[in-house]
Amino acid sequence: MREPMIEPDVMRISWGPQHPMSGQTRVLLDVDGEKVHRIIADLGFTHRGIEKILENRSFFSGIIPVDRMAMVDTANMSIGYVTAIEKAAGLEVPERAKWIRTLVCEMSRINSHLYAFGLQAESTGYFPAVFLWTTVDREVLLDLFEELTGARWSFNHFFPGGVHHDLPDGFADKVLKAVKYLRGRFKDYWDAMVENPLFENRCDGVAILKPKDALKLGATGPVLRGSGIDIDMRREEPYDAYGDLEWEVITEDACDVMARTKVRYHEIGQALNIMEQIAQSIPDGPVKGRVNAFMRVPEGEYISRVEAGRGELGFHLFTNGTGNPYRVKINSPTLRNMYVFERLAELNEVFVADIPVIINSIDPWYLDSDR
Amino acid sequence: MNSNSLISGTLANLVQADQFSLMNIPSMVIEFLALNSKPLLQVLLLPGLGFILGFAIFAVWFERKFLARAMLRVGPYYCGGRAGVLQVFADFLKLFMKEIIIPTAIDWPFFVAMPVFLSTIPSLALLLIPFASNWVLWDVGSLSLPMFFAIMGIAPLIPIFSGWASNNKYSFIGAWRVAYMYISGEIPLVICAAGVAIMAGSMDLVKIVEAQQNMWFAVPQFIGFILFFLGIFIESERTPFDIPVAEVELVFGWRTEYSGILFGFTMMAEYVLFQAWTLMFITLYLGGFNGPVLMGMPTASHIFWLLAKFFVLVVFIILLRCVFPRLRMDQMIKLGWKYMTPLALLNLFFVIVMKILGVV
Repeated sequence: MREPMIEPDVMRISWGPQHPMSGQTRVLLDVDGEKVHRIIADLGFTHRGIEKILENRSFFSGIIPVDRMAMVDTANMSIGYVTAIEKAAGLEVPERAKWIRTLVCEMSRINSHLYAFGLQAESTGYFPAVFLWTTVDREVLLDLFEELTGARWSFNHFFPGGVHHDLPDGFADKVLKAVKYLRGRFKDYWDAMVENPLFENRCDGVAILKPKDALKLGATGPVLRGSGIDIDMRREEPYDAYGDLEWEVITEDACDVMARTKVRYHEIGQALNIMEQIAQSIPDGPVKGRVNAFMRVPEGEYISRVEAGRGELGFHLFTNGTGNPYRVKINSPTLRNMYVFERLAELNEVFVADIPVIINSIDPWYLDSDR
Repeated sequence: MNSNSLISGTLANLVQADQFSLMNIPSMVIEFLALNSKPLLQVLLLPGLGFILGFAIFAVWFERKFLARAMLRVGPYYCGGRAGVLQVFADFLKLFMKEIIIPTAIDWPFFVAMPVFLSTIPSLALLLIPFASNWVLWDVGSLSLPMFFAIMGIAPLIPIFSGWASNNKYSFIGAWRVAYMYISGEIPLVICAAGVAIMAGSMDLVKIVEAQQNMWFAVPQFIGFILFFLGIFIESERTPFDIPVAEVELVFGWRTEYSGILFGFTMMAEYVLFQAWTLMFITLYLGGFNGPVLMGMPTASHIFWLLAKFFVLVVFIILLRCVFPRLRMDQMIKLGWKYMTPLALLNLFFVIVMKILGVV
């Protein structure tokens, strides 16, 4: 990236990529003392060319790199690509497979939000206690993933036309047990974060993103809903079993870092509700239809939009009648939210100490923005 | 205690050259030890080297092992049994072995010298603390309270200098955070200490402790007690106030460029500061070494009571580390100037009123 000119009387800090909190990105901060005048995000450190890789792979094997776009949120990444392929090929998915997908997606969402939660606590300077609590609680979900799919991370469970494995015996009871356990744990998070006066000090009124700006800058996911805008792809364009389940879209009106944290908190509650409903009333039936792994897809353009943990994930699929996609354009939530992050210093008074708090309220996953 | 006895005894033995021979050395050593056993114990053991190093080792071990429980971990588990007692030594050895990386284009004499001063200056202040009425290593009489604050006033300069000498942007910001934090945090503490000195009628720490025989100053000066308790966190840069080293914001604040044993010194200094301010807090507000005399040994029981109070408080303070996020710099300055300083003045006012009315 060509660095923009630096103004007089400010110091430019290269915040990352070698920094305890930056992740795989570089953020240039123009600071005057503690005040941040300008934020410049420099993405692309983890570019792997996933869009190009997908062009050289069949529709089935393309799911594997797509899975690796966001390791904590694997299921929600692959569901987007799988849905796009199903639209293109006109495949019907059995009802039970849809419900299993929804279950795995919601578990993945909790997994992702727990990680965001832990980092949010850590970024305010918490001793890493809360971060490790969330890590330990994620184990519950990872064990469930392992039992269902055989892998704890990037399990590559979905394919166009179904899922690879049916629920094992007694899995529904284990899901209910996990839901009960996580509900019990969530009071601790509420106390440690939302109810903690020092945490409130750090998060209330920081990095306010007005609804108008959120829409204009293209914010998505919890960032958008934390600004009070009621948009959730699971409800706007229901995919899988979301249309059949009872849940609600969470919004908060405070528009600040705390609002985004609360949105994630309540979304985990909703995800637990969904998990419970699925475990109690999943329909019987097959989990995969008859699908040719080397299928050819008719020529055309197809779009799928799904709600991943970090926001709306879009796949724009161009096909040319062969067994590979002609071009796949991925619209990733982190990239959209990073544009918002860059503008927050202009919209608010931001201090150096707020940078980790803000960047983790956006919950970036640079592997999905860099693709 | 007469600090001259240490030197005069040695000199007296050495000057008598006609008696000096190799055969006499053991008897000279025994004589020297007999003459100077108390100052030697003080220098090597109690307020001195053994206590400072031993506390640093204990505190690091305790922090790792018990805060690990708060994080649902087990902490050091293999080195030195399941309690992990030897892990601290292993890590310290590692720090000794590591290469000291000194960046180019920095002021290297300053950069290397500062970490050494960093732990010696608070240790110097620690020697002023009375462990019993006759167990004070550095007895400066009525100067002891001002001397403590004078020495501790130098302490924040060292991070500022080392942050400047590091020639690093993070170190630079961290150094100025140190400056802002100490100015806004230390002034209320001095005012609180003035309140204690007025109430005790002396600036001699021994007399301050003896004035608390009937009632700890924590009771009449409750505001000062709370402020000074906060002060321990501010001065030793512990969690709600670890603003200068905030590792998620500035990589490691003013310590960013330090590596190897120089980094070890900076960590050590944190614990020495913590130790010195906690002991001062106990001396000023929690009755110092006062306590019931056990088994007819007043000195030993006084030392025991001070250490007992110290370790209870230390455990409490360390456990508080895992429940607070960090304050922001502007919030810290606001806390210092808007709340702590006026409250400290209010406390001082109450003390003066009580003194005039003759309540205390």
